[in-house]
Amino acid sequence: MQQGYMNDIEKQTFQDEILLSKLREILLKEDRAALHTVQEVLDDPEKLSNRISPIIEHRLDILKQNFPEEYERIVTGIIEKKIKDSQDDLLDVIYPVLGKMIRKYVNQQFQVLKDNIDGRIANTFSSKSIIGRLRALVFGVRDSELLLSNLDSAVIEEVYVIERDSGILMGSYSRNSTIDKEVIAGMLTAIKSFVEDAFQREREDLELIQYGTYKILIQNFHTYYIAIALGGTLSSSEKAKLSTLILDFAEKELKLGKKHHEGYLDYEISEKLQTYFTAKLST
Amino acid sequence: MISKKVILTGSFGVGKTSLFNQFIYSRFSDKYLTTIGVKVNKKVISIEGKELSILLWDIAGEVSQDKVPVSYFLGASGIIYVFDLTRPTTFKNIETDLDYLKGLLPNSSVKIVGNKKDLLSEEEIEEVLKTIGNKCHITTSAKTGENVNELFLELGKELL
Repeated sequence: MQQGYMNDIEKQTFQDEILLSKLREILLKEDRAALHTVQEVLDDPEKLSNRISPIIEHRLDILKQNFPEEYERIVTGIIEKKIKDSQDDLLDVIYPVLGKMIRKYVNQQFQVLKDNIDGRIANTFSSKSIIGRLRALVFGVRDSELLLSNLDSAVIEEVYVIERDSGILMGSYSRNSTIDKEVIAGMLTAIKSFVEDAFQREREDLELIQYGTYKILIQNFHTYYIAIALGGTLSSSEKAKLSTLILDFAEKELKLGKKHHEGYLDYEISEKLQTYFTAKLST
Repeated sequence: MISKKVILTGSFGVGKTSLFNQFIYSRFSDKYLTTIGVKVNKKVISIEGKELSILLWDIAGEVSQDKVPVSYFLGASGIIYVFDLTRPTTFKNIETDLDYLKGLLPNSSVKIVGNKKDLLSEEEIEEVLKTIGNKCHITTSAKTGENVNELFLELGKELL
């Protein structure tokens, strides 16, 4: 009906459009089919995954192979910066572990020495040694241990965890109430500083203060130190055991954060000291 | 509670131990006993509802490196540098001494204190303060106790 009103030019245009549309359909048929297939893949997660996964895996393989060359500098830079920024924290963690390793080695050597002494005692024909050996035989223990057992065993009176430079007390445990613990921590640090500075022995720290049978055993760490006041006689093996105990405590229980270096007295450390040392001493 | 190490330093005989005793025990003695090494004590003060434990190190004699172990200064959050208002020799090295201390403790709070104010008139004190370029933060008298607590309160506020 509409065509009836069209002039010749309009009719021609109309026919051209129909022809163009048909041509478009013929030419784009394959493209449309391909587009449909792509659309189907995109809409189906499983199909999409099957297509993409091999590509990602391939890229990852390339990344793995080239990672050292491409990222080594960046990663090394980040790690170096991180280590530099948290040097104190890092050393606090490493110190007890290193200390334990050294202590273990020293203990082994000590054991070798002790065995040698036992060997020599066993070969000595003195009346003392015969009696000693008889006693050892009766009690079923080594001579040296028998000798040590005759001495008064050491008793831990007080334990302090003290910030190394400032002498500020971070935590403490005491069997009996003494004078102000913060003042003790400060004075102890002053004495320690004086000895270490006065004799200027590089990389050496004060480790023992002794008066009569009373001793203060000091275990040094990077940013803090632990001082243990003891009464009674402390044999070398007991001292070694105690040092191991302190290193063990530092490794397991002392997770020091920034606040400890800002002067906060940590009641949690004091509680841990009490629990740890009371338990260890009763065994 | 938070604890802070504060060091009392300055030339010998300026009244560091007297300030220490006045602050810790509220007492003064005319007897002069030179401090051997270092003396440590503490006092808890309350600042705006917060408690601060001041661990005070009274360091003997001089400031210089060869006379006092460096480690006495380490870890201090506050420095009280004391000089004697009546003895010019005790404030002639302020600049050098403070440069040395600030080098060791760059983040610490510093108070420069002119002690023995009870021995001078207000005009004389003004004269002394002018000669040191008004660097002095506070003038005190360990003998009468004047401004002693104020000094520690002011420092305490900066430490919290």
